[in-house]
Amino acid sequence: MTNTTRVNETEILQKNEIMMAKNTHLSSIFTEKIIQMSNVWTSYDSKNFALEEINLSIDRGTNYAIVGESGSGKSTLLKLMNGMMHFSKGTIKIDYVVPNMNDKKFKKMMHTIGYIPQNLGLIKNITVLENTLIGALPRLSKIQSLFKRFPEHEIQEAKRILKLVVLSGKEDRKVYTLSGGEKRRVAIARALMQKPTILLADEIVSELDHVTAHEIMDLIADAQKQMNLTAIMVHHDMKLALEYANRVAVIKKGRKILEIGVEGETIVDFQTGDVSTEEIMEMYADDSKK
Amino acid sequence: MTPKNNIIIGIIVALLVVASYNVDANPIEFIEGLPNLAIIVEEMLLVEPKYVPTAIWAMFETIQMAFIGTIVGFAIALPLSMLAARNLNSKFVYAPIRALLAAIRTFPSILWAILFVIMVGLGPFAGVLAIIMYTIGFITKLQYETIETIDSDPMDAVNSIGVSKSQLICYVVIPESASHLLGQLLYMFDYNIRQTSILGLVGAGGIGFYIINYIKFFEYGKAAVFMLVVLVTVLIIDWISVKIRDKYIIKSQHGMKVISK
Ligand SMILES: Nc1ncnc2c1ncn2[C@@H]1O[C@H](COP(=O)(O)OP(=O)(O)O)[C@@H](O)[C@H]1O
Ligand SMILES: [Mg+2]
Repeated sequence: MTNTTRVNETEILQKNEIMMAKNTHLSSIFTEKIIQMSNVWTSYDSKNFALEEINLSIDRGTNYAIVGESGSGKSTLLKLMNGMMHFSKGTIKIDYVVPNMNDKKFKKMMHTIGYIPQNLGLIKNITVLENTLIGALPRLSKIQSLFKRFPEHEIQEAKRILKLVVLSGKEDRKVYTLSGGEKRRVAIARALMQKPTILLADEIVSELDHVTAHEIMDLIADAQKQMNLTAIMVHHDMKLALEYANRVAVIKKGRKILEIGVEGETIVDFQTGDVSTEEIMEMYADDSKK
Repeated sequence: MTPKNNIIIGIIVALLVVASYNVDANPIEFIEGLPNLAIIVEEMLLVEPKYVPTAIWAMFETIQMAFIGTIVGFAIALPLSMLAARNLNSKFVYAPIRALLAAIRTFPSILWAILFVIMVGLGPFAGVLAIIMYTIGFITKLQYETIETIDSDPMDAVNSIGVSKSQLICYVVIPESASHLLGQLLYMFDYNIRQTSILGLVGAGGIGFYIINYIKFFEYGKAAVFMLVVLVTVLIIDWISVKIRDKYIIKSQHGMKVISK
Protein backbone atom coordinates (compact mmCIF):
# COMPACT_ATOMS: atom_id res chain seq x y z
CA MET A 1 0.00 0.00 0.00
CA THR A 2 2.75 2.46 0.97
CA ASN A 3 4.64 1.46 -2.14
CA THR A 4 1.85 2.31 -4.53
CA THR A 5 1.36 5.63 -2.78
CA ARG A 6 4.99 6.45 -3.29
CA VAL A 7 4.86 5.57 -6.97
CA ASN A 8 1.84 7.79 -7.34
CA GLU A 9 3.60 10.63 -5.63
CA THR A 10 6.55 10.57 -8.01
CA GLU A 11 4.12 10.37 -10.90
CA ILE A 12 2.34 13.39 -9.55
CA LEU A 13 5.54 15.34 -9.17
CA GLN A 14 6.56 14.49 -12.73
CA LYS A 15 3.20 15.54 -14.05
CA ASN A 16 3.43 18.75 -12.10
CA GLU A 17 6.85 19.43 -13.49
CA ILE A 18 5.46 19.17 -16.99
CA MET A 19 2.50 21.35 -16.12
CA MET A 20 4.70 23.95 -14.48
CA ALA A 21 6.92 24.03 -17.55
CA LYS A 22 3.86 24.65 -19.67
CA ASN A 23 2.74 27.26 -17.25
CA THR A 24 6.02 29.16 -17.39
CA HIS A 25 5.68 29.12 -21.14
CA LEU A 26 2.13 30.43 -20.91
CA SER A 27 2.88 33.00 -18.28
CA SER A 28 5.61 34.49 -20.42
CA ILE A 29 2.85 35.37 -22.88
CA PHE A 30 0.03 36.11 -20.47
CA THR A 31 1.15 37.51 -17.19
CA GLU A 32 -2.32 38.93 -17.03
CA LYS A 33 -4.32 38.56 -13.81
CA ILE A 34 -7.82 37.42 -14.63
CA ILE A 35 -9.04 37.48 -11.04
CA GLN A 36 -7.91 39.84 -8.32
CA MET A 37 -9.19 40.11 -4.78
CA SER A 38 -7.77 42.31 -2.14
CA ASN A 39 -8.83 42.46 1.48
CA VAL A 40 -12.25 40.95 0.76
CA TRP A 41 -14.69 40.31 3.60
CA THR A 42 -18.11 38.75 3.22
CA SER A 43 -20.90 37.38 5.41
CA TYR A 44 -24.28 35.65 5.16
CA ASP A 45 -25.58 37.24 8.33
CA SER A 46 -24.61 40.36 10.22
CA LYS A 47 -22.76 38.44 12.97
CA ASN A 48 -20.13 36.18 11.42
CA PHE A 49 -17.88 36.68 8.46
CA ALA A 50 -17.81 33.68 6.12
CA LEU A 51 -14.59 35.03 4.58
CA GLU A 52 -12.11 37.45 6.08
CA GLU A 53 -9.27 39.44 4.60
CA ILE A 54 -8.98 37.44 1.38
CA ASN A 55 -6.16 38.40 -0.95
CA LEU A 56 -5.52 36.47 -4.12
CA SER A 57 -4.71 36.88 -7.77
CA ILE A 58 -5.06 34.30 -10.50
CA ASP A 59 -3.16 34.22 -13.78
CA ARG A 60 -5.13 33.81 -16.98
CA GLY A 61 -5.07 30.29 -18.36
CA THR A 62 -3.94 28.58 -15.17
CA ASN A 63 -5.55 25.98 -12.95
CA TYR A 64 -6.12 27.33 -9.47
CA ALA A 65 -7.25 25.04 -6.67
CA ILE A 66 -8.95 25.93 -3.42
CA VAL A 67 -8.64 23.39 -0.62
CA GLY A 68 -9.96 23.39 2.92
CA GLU A 69 -12.07 21.67 5.51
CA SER A 70 -15.80 21.57 5.13
CA GLY A 71 -17.38 24.87 6.21
CA SER A 72 -14.15 26.80 5.74
CA GLY A 73 -15.63 29.05 3.05
CA LYS A 74 -14.54 27.45 -0.24
CA SER A 75 -17.96 27.56 -1.91
CA THR A 76 -18.44 31.12 -0.73
CA LEU A 77 -15.15 32.12 -2.31
CA LEU A 78 -16.23 30.60 -5.62
CA LYS A 79 -19.58 32.42 -5.48
CA LEU A 80 -17.73 35.71 -5.05
CA MET A 81 -16.10 35.08 -8.41
CA ASN A 82 -19.33 34.83 -10.41
CA GLY A 83 -21.21 37.61 -8.67
CA MET A 84 -23.66 35.30 -6.90
CA MET A 85 -22.39 36.46 -3.52
CA HIS A 86 -22.14 40.02 -2.26
CA PHE A 87 -19.10 41.24 -0.41
CA SER A 88 -19.06 43.84 2.29
CA LYS A 89 -15.49 45.03 2.15
CA GLY A 90 -12.49 45.05 -0.18
CA THR A 91 -12.17 44.98 -3.97
CA ILE A 92 -12.76 42.26 -6.53
CA LYS A 93 -11.97 42.45 -10.23
CA ILE A 94 -12.99 39.68 -12.60
CA ASP A 95 -11.27 40.39 -15.90
CA TYR A 96 -11.11 44.02 -14.75
CA VAL A 97 -14.83 44.20 -14.00
CA VAL A 98 -16.34 44.46 -10.52
CA PRO A 99 -18.77 41.55 -10.02
CA ASN A 100 -22.31 42.85 -9.62
CA MET A 101 -25.37 41.08 -11.02
CA ASN A 102 -27.20 44.36 -11.58
CA ASP A 103 -24.44 45.79 -13.72
CA LYS A 104 -24.95 45.29 -17.48
CA LYS A 105 -21.26 44.91 -18.16
CA PHE A 106 -20.83 42.20 -15.55
CA LYS A 107 -24.03 40.43 -16.56
CA LYS A 108 -22.54 40.10 -20.03
CA MET A 109 -19.39 38.70 -18.50
CA MET A 110 -21.44 36.10 -16.61
CA HIS A 111 -22.25 34.55 -19.98
CA THR A 112 -18.63 33.45 -20.18
CA ILE A 113 -18.17 32.28 -16.60
CA GLY A 114 -19.01 28.60 -16.34
CA TYR A 115 -20.11 27.69 -12.84
CA ILE A 116 -20.65 24.13 -11.63
CA PRO A 117 -22.11 24.19 -8.11
CA GLN A 118 -21.45 21.50 -5.53
CA ASN A 119 -24.61 19.59 -6.44
CA LEU A 120 -24.11 20.29 -10.17
CA GLY A 121 -27.40 22.15 -10.65
CA LEU A 122 -28.60 19.99 -13.53
CA ILE A 123 -32.27 19.75 -14.42
CA LYS A 124 -32.99 16.12 -13.76
CA ASN A 125 -36.05 15.38 -15.84
CA ILE A 126 -34.84 16.82 -19.14
CA THR A 127 -32.27 15.28 -21.48
CA VAL A 128 -28.49 15.53 -21.60
CA LEU A 129 -28.67 17.58 -24.82
CA GLU A 130 -31.27 19.97 -23.39
CA ASN A 131 -29.16 20.52 -20.28
CA THR A 132 -26.12 21.22 -22.43
CA LEU A 133 -27.99 23.70 -24.63
CA ILE A 134 -28.82 25.82 -21.57
CA GLY A 135 -25.23 27.05 -21.81
CA ALA A 136 -26.14 28.68 -25.14
CA LEU A 137 -29.16 30.61 -23.80
CA PRO A 138 -27.41 34.01 -23.69
CA ARG A 139 -26.77 33.73 -27.44
CA LEU A 140 -30.44 33.15 -28.31
CA SER A 141 -32.90 35.81 -29.40
CA LYS A 142 -36.05 36.39 -27.32
CA ILE A 143 -38.25 34.55 -29.82
CA GLN A 144 -35.86 31.62 -30.15
CA SER A 145 -35.62 31.12 -26.42
CA LEU A 146 -39.35 31.51 -25.83
CA PHE A 147 -40.17 28.79 -28.37
CA LYS A 148 -37.17 26.65 -27.43
CA ARG A 149 -35.84 26.92 -30.99
CA PHE A 150 -32.10 26.45 -30.86
CA PRO A 151 -30.31 27.21 -34.15
CA GLU A 152 -28.87 24.17 -35.89
CA HIS A 153 -25.25 25.30 -35.37
CA GLU A 154 -25.82 25.47 -31.60
CA ILE A 155 -27.21 21.93 -31.59
CA GLN A 156 -24.17 20.76 -33.57
CA GLU A 157 -21.90 22.59 -31.13
CA ALA A 158 -23.63 20.91 -28.18
CA LYS A 159 -23.16 17.50 -29.83
CA ARG A 160 -19.49 18.26 -30.45
CA ILE A 161 -18.99 19.17 -26.80
CA LEU A 162 -20.87 16.08 -25.65
CA LYS A 163 -18.47 14.04 -27.77
CA LEU A 164 -15.57 15.83 -26.10
CA VAL A 165 -16.86 14.88 -22.65
CA VAL A 166 -17.44 11.31 -23.87
CA LEU A 167 -21.22 11.38 -23.76
CA SER A 168 -21.93 10.66 -27.43
CA GLY A 169 -24.94 8.40 -27.82
CA LYS A 170 -26.40 9.56 -24.51
CA GLU A 171 -27.74 12.90 -25.83
CA ASP A 172 -31.37 11.88 -25.38
CA ARG A 173 -31.05 10.27 -21.96
CA LYS A 174 -32.85 11.94 -19.07
CA VAL A 175 -30.29 13.20 -16.56
CA TYR A 176 -31.77 11.23 -13.66
CA THR A 177 -30.85 8.00 -15.43
CA LEU A 178 -27.11 8.83 -15.49
CA SER A 179 -24.31 7.76 -13.17
CA GLY A 180 -22.51 10.24 -10.91
CA GLY A 181 -19.56 10.50 -13.30
CA GLU A 182 -21.82 11.02 -16.31
CA LYS A 183 -23.79 13.74 -14.52
CA ARG A 184 -20.56 15.60 -13.88
CA ARG A 185 -19.72 15.36 -17.59
CA VAL A 186 -23.10 16.93 -18.43
CA ALA A 187 -22.41 19.79 -16.02
CA ILE A 188 -19.01 20.32 -17.68
CA ALA A 189 -20.65 20.23 -21.12
CA ARG A 190 -23.17 22.89 -20.10
CA ALA A 191 -20.34 25.11 -18.83
CA LEU A 192 -18.24 24.59 -21.99
CA MET A 193 -21.29 25.40 -24.12
CA GLN A 194 -21.05 28.91 -22.67
CA LYS A 195 -17.71 29.31 -24.51
CA PRO A 196 -16.27 30.28 -21.16
CA THR A 197 -13.10 32.12 -20.28
CA ILE A 198 -13.39 31.09 -16.64
CA LEU A 199 -14.57 27.76 -15.28
CA LEU A 200 -15.57 27.53 -11.62
CA ALA A 201 -16.14 24.03 -10.26
CA ASP A 202 -17.14 23.24 -6.69
CA GLU A 203 -15.91 19.84 -5.47
CA ILE A 204 -16.74 18.30 -8.80
CA VAL A 205 -14.79 15.10 -8.17
CA SER A 206 -15.10 14.81 -4.39
CA GLU A 207 -17.60 11.97 -4.33
CA LEU A 208 -16.12 10.00 -7.19
CA ASP A 209 -13.85 6.97 -7.10
CA HIS A 210 -10.16 7.44 -7.88
CA VAL A 211 -10.33 6.40 -11.55
CA THR A 212 -13.43 8.41 -12.45
CA ALA A 213 -12.11 11.46 -10.60
CA HIS A 214 -8.96 11.38 -12.72
CA GLU A 215 -10.94 10.93 -15.93
CA ILE A 216 -12.97 14.03 -15.11
CA MET A 217 -9.90 16.05 -14.13
CA ASP A 218 -8.07 15.02 -17.31
CA LEU A 219 -11.09 16.08 -19.31
CA ILE A 220 -11.04 19.54 -17.75
CA ALA A 221 -7.28 19.79 -18.31
CA ASP A 222 -7.83 18.96 -22.01
CA ALA A 223 -10.61 21.51 -22.38
CA GLN A 224 -8.40 24.05 -20.67
CA LYS A 225 -5.63 23.52 -23.18
CA GLN A 226 -8.01 23.83 -26.13
CA MET A 227 -9.80 26.95 -24.97
CA ASN A 228 -7.21 28.88 -22.95
CA LEU A 229 -9.56 28.52 -20.03
CA THR A 230 -8.84 29.64 -16.49
CA ALA A 231 -10.07 26.91 -14.16
CA ILE A 232 -10.73 27.58 -10.50
CA MET A 233 -11.62 24.39 -8.71
CA VAL A 234 -12.56 23.63 -5.15
CA HIS A 235 -11.18 20.32 -3.95
CA HIS A 236 -11.50 18.27 -0.84
CA ASP A 237 -8.37 16.28 -1.55
CA MET A 238 -5.02 18.09 -1.33
CA LYS A 239 -3.23 15.38 -3.26
CA LEU A 240 -5.55 15.68 -6.23
CA ALA A 241 -5.29 19.46 -6.11
CA LEU A 242 -1.48 19.33 -6.22
CA GLU A 243 -1.63 16.87 -9.07
CA TYR A 244 -3.52 19.17 -11.42
CA ALA A 245 -3.24 22.74 -10.19
CA ASN A 246 -0.57 25.34 -10.78
CA ARG A 247 -1.46 26.95 -7.49
CA VAL A 248 -3.30 25.74 -4.43
CA ALA A 249 -4.86 28.07 -1.89
CA VAL A 250 -5.70 26.65 1.51
CA ILE A 251 -8.67 28.13 3.34
CA LYS A 252 -9.25 27.67 7.04
CA LYS A 253 -12.12 29.18 9.01
CA GLY A 254 -12.73 31.85 6.38
CA ARG A 255 -9.11 32.87 6.00
CA LYS A 256 -6.61 32.04 3.34
CA ILE A 257 -3.82 30.54 5.38
CA LEU A 258 -1.43 29.76 2.57
CA GLU A 259 -0.90 29.52 -1.14
CA ILE A 260 1.41 26.98 -2.68
CA GLY A 261 2.57 25.80 -6.05
CA VAL A 262 4.77 23.01 -7.26
CA GLU A 263 8.04 23.72 -9.05
CA GLY A 264 10.04 20.68 -9.96
CA GLU A 265 10.31 18.53 -6.87
CA THR A 266 9.71 21.23 -4.33
CA ILE A 267 6.53 22.75 -3.12
CA VAL A 268 6.85 26.49 -3.07
CA ASP A 269 5.18 28.65 -0.49
CA PHE A 270 3.95 31.74 -2.30
CA GLN A 271 2.36 33.37 0.64
CA THR A 272 5.09 33.88 3.19
CA GLY A 273 2.96 33.49 6.23
CA ASP A 274 2.54 31.59 9.46
CA VAL A 275 2.69 28.18 7.85
CA SER A 276 6.01 26.60 6.94
CA THR A 277 6.72 24.32 4.02
CA GLU A 278 7.20 21.46 6.48
CA GLU A 279 3.65 21.89 7.67
CA ILE A 280 2.41 21.89 4.10
CA MET A 281 4.21 18.65 3.46
CA GLU A 282 2.62 17.25 6.58
CA MET A 283 -0.84 18.17 5.37
CA TYR A 284 -0.03 16.65 2.04
CA ALA A 285 1.11 13.43 3.69
CA ASP A 286 -2.02 13.39 5.84
CA ASP A 287 -4.28 13.62 2.86
CA SER A 288 -2.53 10.96 0.83
CA LYS A 289 -2.95 8.48 3.69
CA LYS A 290 -6.72 8.60 3.32
CA MET B 1 -49.13 11.04 27.31
CA THR B 2 -47.71 14.13 28.88
CA PRO B 3 -49.91 16.39 31.04
CA LYS B 4 -49.54 19.08 28.37
CA ASN B 5 -51.08 16.77 25.77
CA ASN B 6 -53.96 15.94 28.13
CA ILE B 7 -54.72 19.62 28.55
CA ILE B 8 -54.75 20.14 24.78
CA ILE B 9 -57.08 17.16 24.25
CA GLY B 10 -59.32 18.45 27.05
CA ILE B 11 -59.54 21.87 25.42
CA ILE B 12 -60.39 20.36 22.02
CA VAL B 13 -63.17 18.20 23.55
CA ALA B 14 -64.57 21.24 25.40
CA LEU B 15 -64.56 23.29 22.18
CA LEU B 16 -66.37 20.46 20.38
CA VAL B 17 -69.14 20.38 22.96
CA VAL B 18 -69.56 24.17 22.99
CA ALA B 19 -69.56 24.43 19.20
CA SER B 20 -72.06 21.56 18.85
CA TYR B 21 -74.39 23.26 21.29
CA ASN B 22 -74.10 26.54 19.39
CA VAL B 23 -74.98 25.01 16.03
CA ASP B 24 -77.68 22.68 17.41
CA ALA B 25 -75.75 19.57 16.43
CA ASN B 26 -77.78 17.00 18.34
CA PRO B 27 -76.82 13.32 17.89
CA ILE B 28 -80.28 12.21 19.12
CA GLU B 29 -81.96 14.06 16.24
CA PHE B 30 -79.63 12.26 13.88
CA ILE B 31 -80.68 8.86 15.19
CA GLU B 32 -84.36 9.84 15.15
CA GLY B 33 -83.93 10.93 11.52
CA LEU B 34 -82.52 7.60 10.35
CA PRO B 35 -85.94 6.13 9.38
CA ASN B 36 -86.37 9.08 6.95
CA LEU B 37 -83.12 8.10 5.29
CA ALA B 38 -84.46 4.58 4.95
CA ILE B 39 -87.50 5.92 3.11
CA ILE B 40 -85.34 7.92 0.70
CA VAL B 41 -83.08 4.95 0.06
CA GLU B 42 -86.11 2.75 -0.56
CA GLU B 43 -87.52 5.23 -3.07
CA MET B 44 -84.14 5.64 -4.70
CA LEU B 45 -83.99 1.92 -5.29
CA LEU B 46 -86.87 2.38 -7.69
CA VAL B 47 -84.35 3.56 -10.27
CA GLU B 48 -85.89 4.68 -13.51
CA PRO B 49 -83.52 3.36 -16.22
CA LYS B 50 -85.13 5.31 -19.04
CA TYR B 51 -83.47 8.44 -17.62
CA VAL B 52 -79.96 7.03 -18.05
CA PRO B 53 -79.30 8.63 -21.50
CA THR B 54 -80.39 12.05 -20.22
CA ALA B 55 -78.20 11.60 -17.16
CA ILE B 56 -75.19 10.63 -19.26
CA TRP B 57 -75.74 13.62 -21.53
CA ALA B 58 -75.99 15.95 -18.50
CA MET B 59 -72.84 14.41 -17.08
CA PHE B 60 -71.08 14.97 -20.39
CA GLU B 61 -72.01 18.64 -20.23
CA THR B 62 -70.70 18.76 -16.66
CA ILE B 63 -67.37 17.21 -17.67
CA GLN B 64 -66.98 19.71 -20.51
CA MET B 65 -67.69 22.60 -18.16
CA ALA B 66 -65.13 21.29 -15.68
CA PHE B 67 -62.64 20.71 -18.50
CA ILE B 68 -62.87 24.26 -19.88
CA GLY B 69 -62.86 25.74 -16.38
CA THR B 70 -59.80 23.75 -15.32
CA ILE B 71 -57.70 24.36 -18.45
CA VAL B 72 -58.48 28.07 -18.75
CA GLY B 73 -58.12 28.56 -15.00
CA PHE B 74 -54.78 26.78 -15.01
CA ALA B 75 -53.51 28.81 -17.97
CA ILE B 76 -54.40 32.08 -16.25
CA ALA B 77 -53.07 30.86 -12.89
CA LEU B 78 -49.59 29.88 -14.06
CA PRO B 79 -48.28 33.36 -14.95
CA LEU B 80 -49.90 34.75 -11.81
CA SER B 81 -48.08 32.11 -9.76
CA MET B 82 -44.78 33.06 -11.37
CA LEU B 83 -45.40 36.61 -10.14
CA ALA B 84 -46.47 35.40 -6.68
CA ALA B 85 -43.42 33.20 -6.05
CA ARG B 86 -41.11 34.76 -3.52
CA ASN B 87 -37.98 33.22 -5.00
CA LEU B 88 -38.56 34.89 -8.39
CA ASN B 89 -39.80 38.36 -7.49
CA SER B 90 -39.29 41.30 -5.21
CA LYS B 91 -41.73 42.04 -2.42
CA PHE B 92 -43.33 44.83 -4.44
CA VAL B 93 -44.44 42.32 -7.05
CA TYR B 94 -45.42 39.25 -5.05
CA ALA B 95 -47.15 40.99 -2.13
CA PRO B 96 -49.99 42.66 -4.12
CA ILE B 97 -50.45 39.59 -6.35
CA ARG B 98 -50.74 37.37 -3.29
CA ALA B 99 -53.28 39.70 -1.71
CA LEU B 100 -55.37 39.59 -4.90
CA LEU B 101 -55.20 35.80 -5.06
CA ALA B 102 -56.13 35.50 -1.38
CA ALA B 103 -59.19 37.64 -2.06
CA ILE B 104 -60.21 35.42 -5.00
CA ARG B 105 -59.73 32.36 -2.80
CA THR B 106 -62.19 33.53 -0.15
CA PHE B 107 -65.16 32.86 -2.50
CA PRO B 108 -66.41 29.27 -2.73
CA SER B 109 -67.38 28.18 -6.24
CA ILE B 110 -71.10 28.36 -5.51
CA LEU B 111 -70.80 32.09 -4.69
CA TRP B 112 -68.90 32.72 -7.90
CA ALA B 113 -71.70 30.84 -9.70
CA ILE B 114 -74.40 33.05 -8.19
CA LEU B 115 -72.38 36.14 -9.15
CA PHE B 116 -71.96 34.97 -12.76
CA VAL B 117 -75.60 33.88 -13.07
CA ILE B 118 -76.48 37.48 -12.24
CA MET B 119 -73.89 38.71 -14.73
CA VAL B 120 -74.38 36.43 -17.76
CA GLY B 121 -77.69 34.72 -16.97
CA LEU B 122 -78.67 31.14 -16.17
CA GLY B 123 -76.84 28.26 -17.86
CA PRO B 124 -73.53 26.47 -18.17
CA PHE B 125 -71.49 29.54 -19.15
CA ALA B 126 -71.98 31.03 -15.69
CA GLY B 127 -70.81 27.70 -14.27
CA VAL B 128 -67.71 27.67 -16.45
CA LEU B 129 -66.80 31.20 -15.33
CA ALA B 130 -67.30 30.18 -11.70
CA ILE B 131 -65.00 27.18 -12.12
CA ILE B 132 -62.35 29.35 -13.79
CA MET B 133 -62.34 31.80 -10.89
CA TYR B 134 -62.33 29.08 -8.28
CA THR B 135 -59.50 27.26 -10.09
CA ILE B 136 -57.39 30.42 -10.25
CA GLY B 137 -57.77 31.06 -6.53
CA PHE B 138 -57.14 27.49 -5.51
CA ILE B 139 -54.42 26.32 -7.89
CA THR B 140 -52.20 29.41 -7.71
CA LYS B 141 -51.53 28.65 -4.06
CA LEU B 142 -50.43 25.13 -4.93
CA GLN B 143 -48.40 26.40 -7.87
CA TYR B 144 -46.44 29.15 -6.14
CA GLU B 145 -45.75 26.92 -3.18
CA THR B 146 -44.35 24.33 -5.59
CA ILE B 147 -42.26 26.95 -7.37
CA GLU B 148 -40.87 28.17 -4.07
CA THR B 149 -39.73 24.69 -3.08
CA ILE B 150 -37.86 23.84 -6.27
CA ASP B 151 -34.21 23.03 -5.81
CA SER B 152 -32.10 26.18 -5.59
CA ASP B 153 -29.11 24.47 -7.18
CA PRO B 154 -30.28 24.46 -10.81
CA MET B 155 -31.70 27.95 -10.26
CA ASP B 156 -28.32 29.23 -9.05
CA ALA B 157 -26.40 27.40 -11.74
CA VAL B 158 -28.54 28.76 -14.58
CA ASN B 159 -28.88 32.21 -13.02
CA SER B 160 -25.11 32.45 -12.84
CA ILE B 161 -24.98 32.20 -16.65
CA GLY B 162 -26.69 35.58 -16.68
CA VAL B 163 -29.94 34.50 -18.36
CA SER B 164 -33.13 36.57 -18.40
CA LYS B 165 -36.01 35.87 -16.04
CA SER B 166 -38.23 34.51 -18.81
CA GLN B 167 -35.45 32.11 -19.77
CA LEU B 168 -35.10 31.03 -16.15
CA ILE B 169 -38.84 30.32 -16.03
CA CYS B 170 -38.92 28.44 -19.36
CA TYR B 171 -35.79 26.39 -18.85
CA VAL B 172 -35.59 25.79 -15.10
CA VAL B 173 -38.75 26.65 -13.18
CA ILE B 174 -41.24 24.89 -15.46
CA PRO B 175 -39.19 21.73 -16.16
CA GLU B 176 -38.28 21.40 -12.48
CA SER B 177 -41.89 21.71 -11.31
CA ALA B 178 -43.61 20.10 -14.33
CA SER B 179 -44.53 16.85 -12.63
CA HIS B 180 -46.04 18.65 -9.65
CA LEU B 181 -47.92 21.05 -11.91
CA LEU B 182 -49.35 18.15 -13.90
CA GLY B 183 -50.39 16.43 -10.68
CA GLN B 184 -52.13 19.60 -9.53
CA LEU B 185 -53.89 19.93 -12.88
CA LEU B 186 -55.26 16.38 -12.61
CA TYR B 187 -56.32 16.91 -9.02
CA MET B 188 -58.03 20.16 -9.95
CA PHE B 189 -59.93 18.54 -12.84
CA ASP B 190 -61.06 15.72 -10.59
CA TYR B 191 -62.15 18.22 -7.94
CA ASN B 192 -63.85 20.50 -10.47
CA ILE B 193 -66.03 17.67 -11.82
CA ARG B 194 -67.42 17.16 -8.33
CA GLN B 195 -67.89 20.91 -7.89
CA THR B 196 -69.52 21.41 -11.27
CA SER B 197 -71.98 18.66 -10.37
CA ILE B 198 -73.52 20.90 -7.74
CA LEU B 199 -73.40 24.27 -9.53
CA GLY B 200 -76.80 23.42 -11.03
CA LEU B 201 -78.20 24.20 -7.59
CA VAL B 202 -77.98 27.91 -8.43
CA GLY B 203 -78.86 27.47 -12.11
CA ALA B 204 -75.31 27.48 -13.44
CA GLY B 205 -75.74 24.36 -15.61
CA GLY B 206 -74.51 20.83 -15.29
CA ILE B 207 -75.99 17.66 -13.89
CA GLY B 208 -76.77 19.21 -10.50
CA PHE B 209 -79.64 21.10 -12.08
CA TYR B 210 -81.50 17.82 -12.67
CA ILE B 211 -80.64 16.37 -9.27
CA ILE B 212 -81.86 19.39 -7.32
CA ASN B 213 -85.10 19.59 -9.29
CA TYR B 214 -86.00 15.91 -8.87
CA ILE B 215 -85.23 16.11 -5.17
CA LYS B 216 -87.42 19.19 -4.84
CA PHE B 217 -90.34 17.23 -6.27
CA PHE B 218 -89.56 14.13 -4.18
CA GLU B 219 -88.72 12.08 -7.26
CA TYR B 220 -85.88 10.23 -5.60
CA GLY B 221 -85.88 7.40 -8.14
CA LYS B 222 -85.02 9.81 -10.95
CA ALA B 223 -82.52 11.74 -8.83
CA ALA B 224 -80.85 8.43 -8.02
CA VAL B 225 -80.09 7.76 -11.70
CA PHE B 226 -78.27 11.07 -11.99
CA MET B 227 -76.42 10.59 -8.72
CA LEU B 228 -75.29 7.13 -9.80
CA VAL B 229 -73.93 8.55 -13.03
CA VAL B 230 -71.96 11.15 -11.04
CA LEU B 231 -70.60 8.44 -8.78
CA VAL B 232 -69.49 6.19 -11.64
CA THR B 233 -67.93 9.11 -13.53
CA VAL B 234 -65.96 10.28 -10.51
CA LEU B 235 -64.66 6.76 -9.96
CA ILE B 236 -63.59 6.45 -13.60
CA ILE B 237 -61.85 9.84 -13.59
CA ASP B 238 -60.14 8.89 -10.35
CA TRP B 239 -58.88 5.68 -11.86
CA ILE B 240 -57.62 7.45 -15.00
CA SER B 241 -55.76 10.07 -13.00
CA VAL B 242 -54.05 7.39 -10.93
CA LYS B 243 -52.88 5.80 -14.20
CA ILE B 244 -51.59 9.11 -15.58
CA ARG B 245 -49.91 9.87 -12.28
CA ASP B 246 -48.10 6.53 -12.29
CA LYS B 247 -47.02 6.89 -15.86
CA TYR B 248 -45.80 10.47 -15.94
CA ILE B 249 -45.47 11.88 -12.48
CA ILE B 250 -44.07 9.29 -10.12
CA LYS B 251 -41.64 8.13 -12.77
CA SER B 252 -40.26 11.58 -13.42
CA GLN B 253 -40.04 12.40 -9.75
CA HIS B 254 -38.15 9.36 -8.65
CA GLY B 255 -36.70 8.18 -11.91
CA MET B 256 -38.24 4.78 -11.50
CA LYS B 257 -40.49 2.57 -13.51
CA VAL B 258 -43.93 1.95 -12.12
CA ILE B 259 -45.18 -1.48 -13.01
CA SER B 260 -48.92 -1.33 -13.40
CA LYS B 261 -50.74 -4.51 -12.52
N1 LIG C 1 -26.70 30.25 2.53
C1 LIG C 1 -26.03 30.38 3.67
N2 LIG C 1 -26.59 31.05 4.72
C2 LIG C 1 -25.91 31.22 5.88
N3 LIG C 1 -24.68 30.74 6.10
C3 LIG C 1 -24.08 30.06 5.11
C4 LIG C 1 -24.72 29.85 3.85
N4 LIG C 1 -23.88 29.14 3.06
C5 LIG C 1 -22.78 28.91 3.80
N5 LIG C 1 -22.88 29.46 5.02
C6 LIG C 1 -21.86 29.45 6.09
O1 LIG C 1 -20.67 30.02 5.60
C7 LIG C 1 -19.54 29.27 5.98
C8 LIG C 1 -18.77 28.82 4.75
O2 LIG C 1 -19.56 27.94 3.99
P1 LIG C 1 -19.10 27.33 2.61
O3 LIG C 1 -18.51 28.38 1.78
O4 LIG C 1 -20.26 26.59 2.03
O5 LIG C 1 -17.99 26.28 3.08
P2 LIG C 1 -17.31 25.10 2.28
O6 LIG C 1 -17.72 25.18 0.86
O7 LIG C 1 -15.85 25.30 2.49
O8 LIG C 1 -17.77 23.83 2.93
C9 LIG C 1 -20.06 28.12 6.82
O9 LIG C 1 -19.90 28.47 8.17
C10 LIG C 1 -21.51 28.01 6.46
O10 LIG C 1 -22.26 27.55 7.55
MG1 LIG D 1 -18.76 23.83 -0.23
